[in-house]
Amino acid sequence: MVFILILAMGLLVFLNRYAFLEPRLPLRLSSNARQFLGFAVPGMLTAICGPIVFLPGQQLNLDPANPYLLGSLLAVVLVLWTRNTLLSMLLSMGLFFIYRGWLSGSP
Amino acid sequence: MPASIARTACIKGSIACLPLSLAVAPWGLLAGSMAIEAKLTPLQSQGLSAIVFAGAAQLVAIGMLKGGANLFSILLTTLLLTSQHLLYGLSMRPVLSELPTRWRLTLGFLLTDEFFALVSQHDRQQFNRWYAFGVGFTFYLAWNLFTLAGIILGQSIPHLDQLGLDFSIAATFVALIAPTVRSVPTLVCVAVALFCSVLFSYWHWETALVAAGLLGMAAGFICQKSFGAR
Repeated sequence: MVFILILAMGLLVFLNRYAFLEPRLPLRLSSNARQFLGFAVPGMLTAICGPIVFLPGQQLNLDPANPYLLGSLLAVVLVLWTRNTLLSMLLSMGLFFIYRGWLSGSP
Repeated sequence: MPASIARTACIKGSIACLPLSLAVAPWGLLAGSMAIEAKLTPLQSQGLSAIVFAGAAQLVAIGMLKGGANLFSILLTTLLLTSQHLLYGLSMRPVLSELPTRWRLTLGFLLTDEFFALVSQHDRQQFNRWYAFGVGFTFYLAWNLFTLAGIILGQSIPHLDQLGLDFSIAATFVALIAPTVRSVPTLVCVAVALFCSVLFSYWHWETALVAAGLLGMAAGFICQKSFGAR
């Protein structure tokens, strides 16, 4: 039963991924469609980050001192300043954990 | 293409994917340990990562299995939760649909959020199938190794989901997005997607992410059309 579920899930996810890669699908993208899809990277990646940052542990957190928010802002500043994705990611993660540790350590 | 150039491109892809492969560690550990906790066998737990290879869908499906949900509702949820892949496929269609069948099937299977984040930055001229394979396969290996680690160590790491490890995904994606925001329409797109993703997730929509992403994209597109600025 569980294996049938796993195989069916795998098939569904694969169909979602593959559907539009099939060349026999009669579909030509207009220039408008291409422009629209040009926003897919910033749009989708931002949508994935939103809930992680503002809904940590499924709880809405709009506090400016929210470590996820401060950490993300730090990552933005660092990457715009240094232009180095890996460095920005590691530094902002490091400071995020230090800040969180400090928050939970103080009453 | 000569083998050495293919190898170089593949290694380049692997290296580009390393930060994201490390960032996914907490989710992989969670996927492995949660599956064991939900009374799946180690083989089934690993099978989820090896065959389904979609973090959010796996975690939700495990939660639903534990709660006694039926097969159909789990499959419907999977379909909705992974619908952003349709968008990725559509967006990468100009590049990927031209490849031979075995390449399309392989790269299609490896098409994740992370793959899309890294590979879709390349247009037709810059695209290299071996680079794409390096990105995708490295991520697949990392995801499965971290799942295995979660299966083995799972219960010995207490409160894995409360350690804030999920920040690694946000940090990585933010660092990837920020440099691409160079115009007003892109800024509008990001702002709308951010606002909608938080609102829709707060409302517990299963399609929150793809709906928010689409609205953000539409907002950016309308802005670009009306003001003609790039």
